Amino acid sequence: MTNLAQLFFDAASLGGLYAMAALGIALIFGVMNLVNFAHGEYIAFCVFALIVPSTDAVAVMFLGKAPALILIPLVLGIGALIAVLSEYAVFRHLRRADPVAMMVASFALGFVIRNILLAVYGGRPKAISLWPELNTPVELAGASVPLLQLIVIATTLIVVAALALLLRKTRLGLEMRAAAENFTMARLLGVRANVVITGAFALSGALAAAVALIMVTQSGVADVRVGGQIMLVAFIATVIGGMGSLPGAVAAGFLIGAVSVLLQAALPLDARPFRDAFLYTLVIVCLLLRPQGLFVPASAKPRI
Amino acid sequence: MMSKLGVFDISVRYGKIPAVTDLSLQINEGERVFVSGPNGAGKSSLLGAISGAVATSHGRIEMDGDLLTGRQPEAIARLGLSMVPEGREIFGALTVEENLRVGTGMRRDVQAVEADVGEILDAFPILAERRHAAAGALSGGQQQMLAIGRALMTNPKLMMVDEPSLGLAPKIVDQVYETLCALQEERSLTLLIVEQSSLRAARVGGRMILMRGGRIVGEGNAADMADREALAQAYFGAPRSNSDMEAAE
Ligand SMILES: Nc1ncnc2c1ncn2[C@@H]1O[C@H](COP(=O)(O)OP(=O)(O)OP(=O)(O)O)[C@@H](O)[C@H]1O
Ligand SMILES: [Mg+2]
Repeated sequence: MTNLAQLFFDAASLGGLYAMAALGIALIFGVMNLVNFAHGEYIAFCVFALIVPSTDAVAVMFLGKAPALILIPLVLGIGALIAVLSEYAVFRHLRRADPVAMMVASFALGFVIRNILLAVYGGRPKAISLWPELNTPVELAGASVPLLQLIVIATTLIVVAALALLLRKTRLGLEMRAAAENFTMARLLGVRANVVITGAFALSGALAAAVALIMVTQSGVADVRVGGQIMLVAFIATVIGGMGSLPGAVAAGFLIGAVSVLLQAALPLDARPFRDAFLYTLVIVCLLLRPQGLFVPASAKPRI
Repeated sequence: MMSKLGVFDISVRYGKIPAVTDLSLQINEGERVFVSGPNGAGKSSLLGAISGAVATSHGRIEMDGDLLTGRQPEAIARLGLSMVPEGREIFGALTVEENLRVGTGMRRDVQAVEADVGEILDAFPILAERRHAAAGALSGGQQQMLAIGRALMTNPKLMMVDEPSLGLAPKIVDQVYETLCALQEERSLTLLIVEQSSLRAARVGGRMILMRGGRIVGEGNAADMADREALAQAYFGAPRSNSDMEAAE
């Protein structure tokens, strides 16, 4: 029983993290058919924004010193800002370009951000302690769960609900949904492409920042490579969920989190180091069975 | 008569394929103009060029003295031009009402927007019934009504409609035109309508422009033009062929 509850919280919190990262990618893909591979670097950038620029092994808190009430909005704003700036500097000039060209540009942009971080902060992972008190376990349903896990699960739910509300109930949300379906028609109705795309990038960047805060608190490490790792999983989640489908991205994020936690628990000890090989085998099977994505209704036409 | 729309010597090409060639056209305020012509004549391309969805390679387009050429489609829409495109292009995942509201972001007259939603739902009762349903589930005719209603919601001064009768039962087409004409009267709209059937255009009334091969090859009162076509059909037993058309010029 204890074990089951533990598994559930592990799966839900890891899945929540993946879901938020996947949402960030799906949002951009939905409005402009861009798979933004720089998304992982937005996450890394937000992590490093917390500490004083230096190549020392131990991180000295910079923004990270601020109280949570200030820190959280500040970091979300930084994430939104770097995403919006990158749209302005790079993707805006490629709007009419081939989606492949945009994707390659996003790789290049990610590379640039990563190398700037490497130059400023050095390549060694740094110990960083943000809100260490959140890692104290609490007893729940017979399991001992780090408080942070509960916060992650709650945060995911709040973020998903807030995003759904924004998309359903606000002017920007309506325009984003219309643009995601048919950008030209939306523009013929006076919907400003720049507003919609900037809005999507800002939301996506804020999601990256939320992921960054959670990952740093959880792992206690600032590592330039975090972005690449989570980006891979998030990208797979958006593909499995059906490119551009926001509910699909969330569902697939949770699914991948759950499956990797389950594999970790169920695989024999010798096989555990190869967990990801099993995970990605399942991914391939999923794609073979439903190339349009697991959560796209059968009647909907494929989006790519 | 005040000129509403001026098209001066425009050309549209897709790569090497010319779709519209050196075309000029004047439309007056409050006028109703039909564009007719065979498939591939360049009718949709002309509308696309005016709305800003398709780039022109040559020439200039003005509305109320504002230069439209080179502007973004959203900027043109905000100047008061609205479009019901070929194939309707309904947002299928949005509800009927949301579709109507997509184009109202530019409007500051919030109360008038609400009144317009009410008016359009009154004009098309079937839309009122399906107000909160996904628009993708509407039939073709219902989608056409929604596309027209959606275009009207931007409160345009000039509205362009590309083949409103395509795929609709004649009865529904009657209804669509009745509503269009009533709204035109009420809002002093200028209408530019692509309509394949010259008979239909004659019945609704207005000026008619005949296009072929990207150029205007005939122009006149819709009723006269339809008579000419009927005459040609009576003589030649079939819709006029290429050479007849040129002879008629
Ligand atoms: N997106 C496009 N790419 C390439 N060529 C195009 C494109 N759209 C139209 N054309 C070409 O431009 C020409 C004019 O097409 P257009 O759609 O404007 O004609 P139309 O008069 O609206 O025809 P229809 O009555 O069939 O709607 C045609 O030769 C067509 O093949
Ligand atoms: Mg056409």
